Amino acid sequence: MPENRQLSNRWGRRDNHAMTTIIPEVPAAAVELVRLGRRRAGRPAVQDLSLSLPRGQVLGLLGVNGAGKSTTLSMIAGALRPDSGSIRLDGRDFLEQPEMARQWIGWLPERAPLWPELNVIEHLDAHGRLRGLHGTTLREARTTIIERLELQPLARRLAGVLSQGQRQRLGLACALLHRPALLVLDEPANALDPVQVAALRRLIREQATAGTAVILSTHLLAEVTAVCDRVAILHEGTLRHDGPVHGDDYAALERTFFEIAMHNQHDAARAA
Amino acid sequence: MSFVPIGMSAVMRLEWRRLRMRPLGWVLAALTLAWLGWNFTLLLGSFLAGQIQRAALPDGPGFTDLVAVPLLGQLAQLAFLVVPLLTMSVLAGERRNGTLPLLFATGVPASGIVLGKYLATLGWLLLWLALTLAMPLLLAHATHLDWGKLAAASLGVALMLAALAALGVACSSFASHPAIAAAAALILALALWSINLGAQLAGINGGAINWLAMSTHEQPMLRGLVSSADVLWFVLLILLSLALATRRLDTERERG
Repeated sequence: MPENRQLSNRWGRRDNHAMTTIIPEVPAAAVELVRLGRRRAGRPAVQDLSLSLPRGQVLGLLGVNGAGKSTTLSMIAGALRPDSGSIRLDGRDFLEQPEMARQWIGWLPERAPLWPELNVIEHLDAHGRLRGLHGTTLREARTTIIERLELQPLARRLAGVLSQGQRQRLGLACALLHRPALLVLDEPANALDPVQVAALRRLIREQATAGTAVILSTHLLAEVTAVCDRVAILHEGTLRHDGPVHGDDYAALERTFFEIAMHNQHDAARAA
Repeated sequence: MSFVPIGMSAVMRLEWRRLRMRPLGWVLAALTLAWLGWNFTLLLGSFLAGQIQRAALPDGPGFTDLVAVPLLGQLAQLAFLVVPLLTMSVLAGERRNGTLPLLFATGVPASGIVLGKYLATLGWLLLWLALTLAMPLLLAHATHLDWGKLAAASLGVALMLAALAALGVACSSFASHPAIAAAAALILALALWSINLGAQLAGINGGAINWLAMSTHEQPMLRGLVSSADVLWFVLLILLSLALATRRLDTERERG
């Protein structure tokens, strides 16, 4: 278990003094990408990407199709190794210690891949065990997340027969089960109805308030203005914009996004 | 490093659960055990019918030679079909479901994923072997069993199941579709079994080609002869297959 989490669990119990002695004066970023690069299908999918995200912040990752969002998230989640650069989790090199992913990161990939022959409870148990939870801890975590995501009616249903929206909720439950310090969500609102989208936004804000760093990849600008503190725009694998989201200033974000996307289209047209 | 066994055991439990929930495992077990049960009855009937003639022979074949070992031999034949079907989805199915990256993202090393899945499959196969063995063992009180010969034959079949399972996992790690994995595992297993067929027909009983063949190492054990060289051959095949599967997954994690 990450050191800071152990300490925060002790807070208010018996050894509060430990907090002042062990936690560094300047807390490290929850995740820090340093000049990250990755080629896919013979072309650079992500190039020279540097980003840093502190705890409690929600970063929206925007980009057109093929911008490199999913590749970036796969690398952060530990499913794909970068060709160059480094990823630091809480100041430690994640590529040197890939096992950190087990407890640190919760990942919801695009389209929530599931094992069709397992039911909802079995999924949560399998994910919990893979993330190092056992016995009572696992049962408690499972009960909590089932209640939080209102999965009780689906608890015994096989994943293979769930609707896309239900699969998405189960995927989200699996990502949140072990209370990760970094939550990586790839298009989490896909196939959710408006009520579920609103619930998802509340959940993301809740996680951020509890100190979790959240990276949210989406195509929807409204999603970013609704829940994110910061937005990063990727285009052709490179970071083109990284700045705060000002309240619900949808128009400003839209302008920035289209400037980046269209500017490159003009460049391409000119080059042709 | 306590993490490796934790991750591996979680993968093993997951795979075991999936094996239990998939109808394929149950259908294969039911059909093959019914087939073996029927053959056991036939072998037993034939054994009982010839008992009087064999009584005249001083060192004539007994229950173990005529019923128990042939039954294990039939299980070994069925294994060529059952094991590829059972292992085909182990990794190719994960790849197809899109769940393989999820396993990578838990930080479990490729060796842990491969070993966990292999051990779960092996557990199913050993259970299958145990249920088959239970048939002759149920009659142990009523007949004379050659325990040494039965143990050697059981070890031979267990090693063969373990080797075929490792081969199946390796094929599954390379295949994009479970059906391709099953076909590849079946072809490789049959080739490995009969690679020395030509040499045998030509009357050549030694050399590298005979050493390569699985039958060379399996048949002595079915006759009750256990040699460390034969055991080592199976262990080498298992290690090589699992190492290949691990390497393939590592490459996949690297290349995406």
